Amino acid sequence: MTEPVAIRKAASAIIEIDRVSQIFQTSARKDHLALSDISLTIDEGAFVSILGPSGCGKSTLLYIVGGFVSPTDGAAKMKGKTITGPGPDRGPVFQEFALFPWKTVLGNVMYGPRQQRVRASEAEAQSRGLIEMVGLKGYENFYPKELSGGMKQRVALARTLAYHPEVLLMDEPFGALDAHTRTRLQNDLLNIWERDRKTVLFVTHSVDEAVFLSDKVVMMSKSPGRIRQVIDVDLPRPRRRNELLLEPRYQKYVVDIERMFDESDEAGSTS
Amino acid sequence: MMPPTALVRRAAPVLACIGVLALWQVAALALKNDSFPTAVEAMRAIPAILGDKEALINIMASLRRMAIGFGVAVLVSIPLGLMMGRSRAVAAFFNPLLMVIYPVPKAALMPIIMLWLGVGDITKTLVIFLGVSLPVIYHSFEGAKAVEEKMLWSGAAMGLSAIQRMVRIVLPAALPEILTGCRTGLVLALITMITSEMIARQSGAGNILFNALDMGQYDTVFAMIIIVGAMGIGLDAIFERVRARLVRWSEPQFDMPLSFS
Ligand SMILES: Nc1ncnc2c1ncn2[C@@H]1O[C@H](COP(=O)(O)OP(=O)(O)OP(=O)(O)O)[C@@H](O)[C@H]1O
Ligand SMILES: [Mg+2]
Repeated sequence: MTEPVAIRKAASAIIEIDRVSQIFQTSARKDHLALSDISLTIDEGAFVSILGPSGCGKSTLLYIVGGFVSPTDGAAKMKGKTITGPGPDRGPVFQEFALFPWKTVLGNVMYGPRQQRVRASEAEAQSRGLIEMVGLKGYENFYPKELSGGMKQRVALARTLAYHPEVLLMDEPFGALDAHTRTRLQNDLLNIWERDRKTVLFVTHSVDEAVFLSDKVVMMSKSPGRIRQVIDVDLPRPRRRNELLLEPRYQKYVVDIERMFDESDEAGSTS
Repeated sequence: MMPPTALVRRAAPVLACIGVLALWQVAALALKNDSFPTAVEAMRAIPAILGDKEALINIMASLRRMAIGFGVAVLVSIPLGLMMGRSRAVAAFFNPLLMVIYPVPKAALMPIIMLWLGVGDITKTLVIFLGVSLPVIYHSFEGAKAVEEKMLWSGAAMGLSAIQRMVRIVLPAALPEILTGCRTGLVLALITMITSEMIARQSGAGNILFNALDMGQYDTVFAMIIIVGAMGIGLDAIFERVRARLVRWSEPQFDMPLSFS
């Protein structure tokens, strides 16, 4: 291993997902097995991506860790304690943004700190810094309806970062962005992560993105949602995109993972 | 200097009023009916009413009942509607009750209420309360139901309790819909106010109107219609201003507001 990785403190589990299954009642009154027997351990400070086809239960798994959904079977634990509900130690960034439309950009970002009784002036200063970091300086007093999809996504990210959750639960946070902004925010996220060493659980469709960002890529398959494989990404940090793209080991990860998906598709179509 | 489109928008309500009065004038002159005074005759009777102390006391009494009925209805209906929208159990409990009350004209309940509570303020205020409640409950309910779940989850993750989420997320998120209900409620308050005074004649603007009708003072009748109409338009305009301010964050940018403000 290269140096920056070795410096990291001895890994201890922060989140344990223990044989979690999730059954949904569909409107046709049939049971739908969205997640089947998922077990996964996430180390403190790790960047873990969940990769899988649409509908394989990635969001559901994230909601269970967030405490928004309680699993039909099994349990998720945070620092050894069973998760029974949401809390500020786990900060979600939802696929749908879920900004507060009656608050301005600044009001949205300040909401969490204010809830935690951070002084208004301090919360504002911090929030302005975060807004600048996500590239929205000058938009502080805009309302969500006045922003594009990608801008809303960035506000959602800043809003969650603002209350300093130990674990970030990000559901395709860069899905709605153009390639350029996406790259920029990936870099920003990596910078924040390398600085604060937050634990990140990151859902994505993109193999590139998963390999670029993660220590660990969890590949899921569909119907029922299962973990197919967990791949440790052993690439040096800090990672620079332009260097990494030329790195044969990076390329091999991407190609290998893509091949595994193709194989599962073929298996799915012949069965 | 106002751009011409804004000028037209400002002037439109005034032009509409003048248009209605002009039509009225022409129709009255053409029909030459004793019970249909011209617009000018009716308007000439207005100062006499507004200058009369007795009449003013009546009108103020009407407005007071309306304000109390409307205010209490809003204070009760918004929390009830929001809770119904977020809790299946609360909705299941109140829905049948409201479904029975909804189609009943509130004025039709007045004889019974009068029997129990007399012909005074309480009866009339109660009828106004009932008239205002239902649209406000309904719109609060719909607004709360439509609140995006992820928004509530975001709040929960920030540490908001269930009650805080209700007050600080559901309420503001549903506010545009709630205020739509309140606006309907305000107009209904005016209508039930006059109706209640028609049934239980004892005081109020409706009392003046129907007494004048009995005595064949048609210019007073029509003057009162103008006064009540103006009150309605004025209240609605004020409310619409307040509403627009409160929900600026939700309005589509190029919406033509349906109001006289
Ligand atoms: N509340 C629910 N009720 C019923 N079924 C649900 C519910 N939520 C999710 N599902 C089902 O569970 C499965 C997994 O959904 P989920 O949203 O977790 O998928 P996903 O992997 O996040 O997909 P995507 O990549 O498209 O976001 C889907 O088949 C979906 O239909
Ligand atoms: Mg999803």
